[in-house]
Amino acid sequence: MLKRHLMAAAAATAILAGAAAPVLADMSIEYNESFATLVENGVKNYEAANPGQKVNLIKLPSDGYQDRVALDLSSGSAPDLIMVDSFLVAEYAGTNYLLPLDDMLKGWDQFQYYSKGLLDVASYNGKVYALPTDTDVRMLWYNRADFAKAGLPDPWTPKTWDDVLAAAQKLKDAGVPDGWLIPAGKKAEEAATMQGFYMAMLGAGAPAGDTNRLRVRDQDKWIGDSPAIRKTLQLYHDVYVDKKVGLAADTDLDFAPTNKAFLDGKIGIMASGSWENSCLWDCNGVNVPSQADRDKIVAWAPWPGNGEPGNKANTNISGGWTIAISAKAPDPANAFKVLTAIFDKKNFLDWTVAGHRMAVRTDIATDPAYTADPFLAKATELAKDTTGRDTVPGYAKVSALVQQMTAEILDGKSVDDVVKEYNAALVDEFGADKVVTIK
Amino acid sequence: MAQASPWLRSARGPMILAMLPALLLVAALIYFTAWAITYSFTNLELTGPNSLNWKWIGFDNYVRLFTRQGFLGSLWVTVIFTFFSAIVGQSFFGFVLASTLRRLHGWRRVSVEVAIMLGWLLPDIVAAFLWQATASDIGFINTLIIQPLGFPAYNFVANHALAVVIIANVWKGTAWSYLLFSAALDSISREILEAARVDGATGLQRVWLVILPIIRSHIATNMLFITIWTFTYFPLIYALTGGGPGSQTEVLSIFMYHQSFGVGKLGYGSAISLAMVMIVGVLSVFYLRQLKEPK
Repeated sequence: MLKRHLMAAAAATAILAGAAAPVLADMSIEYNESFATLVENGVKNYEAANPGQKVNLIKLPSDGYQDRVALDLSSGSAPDLIMVDSFLVAEYAGTNYLLPLDDMLKGWDQFQYYSKGLLDVASYNGKVYALPTDTDVRMLWYNRADFAKAGLPDPWTPKTWDDVLAAAQKLKDAGVPDGWLIPAGKKAEEAATMQGFYMAMLGAGAPAGDTNRLRVRDQDKWIGDSPAIRKTLQLYHDVYVDKKVGLAADTDLDFAPTNKAFLDGKIGIMASGSWENSCLWDCNGVNVPSQADRDKIVAWAPWPGNGEPGNKANTNISGGWTIAISAKAPDPANAFKVLTAIFDKKNFLDWTVAGHRMAVRTDIATDPAYTADPFLAKATELAKDTTGRDTVPGYAKVSALVQQMTAEILDGKSVDDVVKEYNAALVDEFGADKVVTIK
Repeated sequence: MAQASPWLRSARGPMILAMLPALLLVAALIYFTAWAITYSFTNLELTGPNSLNWKWIGFDNYVRLFTRQGFLGSLWVTVIFTFFSAIVGQSFFGFVLASTLRRLHGWRRVSVEVAIMLGWLLPDIVAAFLWQATASDIGFINTLIIQPLGFPAYNFVANHALAVVIIANVWKGTAWSYLLFSAALDSISREILEAARVDGATGLQRVWLVILPIIRSHIATNMLFITIWTFTYFPLIYALTGGGPGSQTEVLSIFMYHQSFGVGKLGYGSAISLAMVMIVGVLSVFYLRQLKEPK
């Protein structure tokens, strides 16, 4: 994790310095630094094509990004364009913070290439509110030197949670400080929900309908208590409390440079996603070693289910980021021009390939530069059986409560206490008629 | 009401003008407090359906302070943090330093004072970075002391997060108590101390029976300030641990931040902040009573 507060302070200083400069910005865009090259090159192209126009760049660190965007939107001070994690699009659109784009998209020749399924995460009530930057899959990354040291097989294909726990134990016995990092706690934010909790829960026993989810989708109800939630929390309990094969501090402290710790061999297995193929070094693909060199250091295995009969062999859930236009943008037409400059094929393709991101457009997915990438070919295999989050307004709250559950497990609380508290908090939030218990 | 002086009556215009800043300040204070109180009786949220269609929910938020986990746990962490870092740490060390440094003069005193003041003057974010660089598994303590002695690296921040933030806050805040107690000790006349000495009082007795009663009101003032500061302290802890791991260092201010802006429950966050105001208010009344000279 990044040194959030130093970065935030630096960003704030940069914004202040920018505000002090005598440049009249016509528009501004707020974005996550992990997407810097995509946004900045797109904006450069827009400014070159529209002389006299200036777009103010508000680059923010990943950690704490969501809090800042939510505050900006709710206080009415959001810039014209905002990068939004896809799970928040419905939440923000449902609060009338975002501008529906359908009418303007009709006039853009490249819109036809977006995959319909992937636009769902950026839509609300049948309208498109944002354009996705990429999609992803999730997996268990492992440090190959650590695996060699612990005498573990490589390539590694765990079949059950117990296999992973056993491997983590061996890693710990071999002197690796943190055997298995599953994101947990409040500072991991959405990573705790997606990279950890949801990935495990999807494989926590044989699913019947939506029993292995946070929400029963066709009943429009949140799940307050279920065997799958309990089994998932028990896994966290095993990792962080009972077996102590994971270190809470790696996932739930600031100043925890997780990527460096993983590359240095201090973390053996790390539950994360496809973006790590470049983000372990640099999300923007700058100074990243060659694929062959990276493959010597790290490798990944699909997440197994918990091994119960009738269960899925592997689980997956996909997310991704988007860029939206604020409902309060004074000049939506020009903001849309900036948006299409960012997502113009050349700029979008270059960024997608350099960062090994999973494409959301058919014209990019079929481009030779993309299909030649061996990592993406393998990752796309996983995407064949994936699912998405419960992206309805309210999910952001539920996700925050899930993160709170994992934090309470880190405190050593019992699974039973934690689930009861979660159920009560859901009822507070949505009312008893919107919360269901699965036996 | 007493008759206003002719001078005041003739200068009413300028007087009202001079009062404007104070009136504005009071108005802003009342405005924000009124909002916080109003919010605390609603289910208003930062985003989502409850941000548009919020409802009055009476005292539900206040009931949840006690029936839901989080608040009481954070209150306990805050009490420990305040007691050890402010009341015990800063006050005690501030007094000890002030009384011992009185005998020191010249460069030795200046260098110690500069060292004490440096912690106080450094921005919280920088201080957090320094303590991280000191106490982490790749920090100074490990690379300079523990590893050269042949022990494995030990991550103090990760394993004793609360202790580290308490020590960091003692380091950061002792300067204030030191300055206040230095001034207080200077105000004690030499004659009284010498009289006590002549009467055969030991060192400890002079401190306990003579010095402490004389500077009693200074102690209360100091306690008042540092308790309020420490009870609502946010930046150093947030920057150093963010409240983690788990909720080990989640003091009330961080808990309120998480609930208001992480989960997005502005109503509940307002209730937490009002509960903090009440607790600090009660403590302040207690200290203010101590400030009065005993009759």
